[in-house]
Amino acid sequence: MTKLQEYFHTDWSAMTGTDWFGLVITVVIFVLMIGVFYWVYNPKNKESLESHRTMPINDDEMNAEN
Amino acid sequence: MQAEQQQYSFEIVKWFAYMAVVYLVVGTGIGVYIASELAWPVLNFDNPYISFGRLRPLHTNAVIFAFGGSTLMATAYYIVQRTSGVRLWSDKLAWFTFWGWNLVIVGAVISLPLGITQAKEYAELEWPLDILIAVVWLAYSFNFIMTLSIRKVSHIYVANWFFLAMMIMVTYLHVVNSLAIPVELFKSYSIFAGVQDAMIQWWWGHNAVGFFLTAGFLGIMYYFVPKQANRPVYSYRLSVVHFWALTFGYVWLGAHHLQYTALPDWTGSLGAAISLAMIIPSWGGAINGMFTLSGAWDKLRTDYILRFLIVSLAFYAMSTFEGPVMSSKTVNALSHYTDWTIGHVHAGALGWVAMVSIGAIYHMVERLWGTTIYSVKLVNLHFWMATIGTAIYITAMWVSGIMQGLMWRAYDDYGNLAYTFVESVAQMHPYYAMRAAGGLIFFLGACVMLYNITVTIRKAIANPSPQMATAASI
Repeated sequence: MTKLQEYFHTDWSAMTGTDWFGLVITVVIFVLMIGVFYWVYNPKNKESLESHRTMPINDDEMNAEN
Repeated sequence: MQAEQQQYSFEIVKWFAYMAVVYLVVGTGIGVYIASELAWPVLNFDNPYISFGRLRPLHTNAVIFAFGGSTLMATAYYIVQRTSGVRLWSDKLAWFTFWGWNLVIVGAVISLPLGITQAKEYAELEWPLDILIAVVWLAYSFNFIMTLSIRKVSHIYVANWFFLAMMIMVTYLHVVNSLAIPVELFKSYSIFAGVQDAMIQWWWGHNAVGFFLTAGFLGIMYYFVPKQANRPVYSYRLSVVHFWALTFGYVWLGAHHLQYTALPDWTGSLGAAISLAMIIPSWGGAINGMFTLSGAWDKLRTDYILRFLIVSLAFYAMSTFEGPVMSSKTVNALSHYTDWTIGHVHAGALGWVAMVSIGAIYHMVERLWGTTIYSVKLVNLHFWMATIGTAIYITAMWVSGIMQGLMWRAYDDYGNLAYTFVESVAQMHPYYAMRAAGGLIFFLGACVMLYNITVTIRKAIANPSPQMATAASI
């Protein structure tokens, strides 16, 4: 076993319920982050997302209309 | 007119904003005193109530929770109303948070000098005050969430997302870290012990930085930088990525405070690895704020409030690069337990948190009282005092910290330590004096701010302008 393999070696049989919970959460969050990146940088969503850029500078107008 | 004045609850924002400045003066004033105690120990006067050990937590509680907390409450109440187009859900609940939060601060001022403490960093207050903090914080969060729920616009602006993340995470962190068994009215013991206690403490400690001192203040940045610059935020998509990456990433970092301890080695490695990864969203956010000025950089020549906001982003970028570097095991072996950490913390606290808060408060004072600031020259003076004071402080601590680290691990040819601990302490003196001077300059700048906004408010009240009459509605 190389040093790198040894470093990443995992004794799966020794995993506790807490370990599995943490592992699953980690993987799910990782996948969700990829999903967020895909959704945010999908050109189809650019216009709808960037339309909110002006909210702070338009809030005077918005409030004047109320 | 009356209907317009009733549109928003800005009275509560005014009180929190003004108290934030008062606490900035008090908190930094105590900081200067304890920095002086380290440089000139005679200032302890052999009096336990004003010794460094008791005043240091009072300083951290005053600047983080009194100044920082008041700023967060003022800005969150201000931003959520303006970006939602509605009044606060409950004025009574908002005033409860004001008096409750100030009661916590009074409790800290009394209990910490008396030595009543749980000895958990940034969570020193004993259990009755911990319960009060939880109740007030939940009231603040509930009022904020309910205001969002009755908003008149469909989209929730990203600044509010950052505030929400802060509210949810700080509730979770505070409750778990403060779990304790009370044995007396002002004495309790944590339910955690040993290395688990250390891990929980630094899970709280670093996330107090990540969510209380970063996420909340990023909410401030995402509203006030575009507002003051009168430019749309550079990239809304980048702000969304910044938010989710920061929210998912920050919670992993705590273990980097415990490198080379009884904590499993892999935990510290994980904390360091995620810390390094966090440079990407942090710099994305800093760039997003700075590039908001694209095409309008000339505003920095004349707009001193904007200078505070933009310089805060430079310090944010700097400290979010420095922190991950310090978390790596190689650098941590040198930097841990030294003054370099203190320098790093103050680059973030003075340079980022205080500066972005100061910019936001100056902006709000003009809007809330429908006036212009009494003296722009004094704002400019304050800007330079804050910047120069911060630069002197952190430079002194960098030099002092690296010197400490090198002295502590120097060996002679026989494997003996080259220096005693006392020798390293003696070498620190000039840098401790320099740190006290830097802190004093920053503190005097805060006094200038308090004077300037007090006169501004008094003049606005004495000579109400037409704008002031409608200030509550714009």
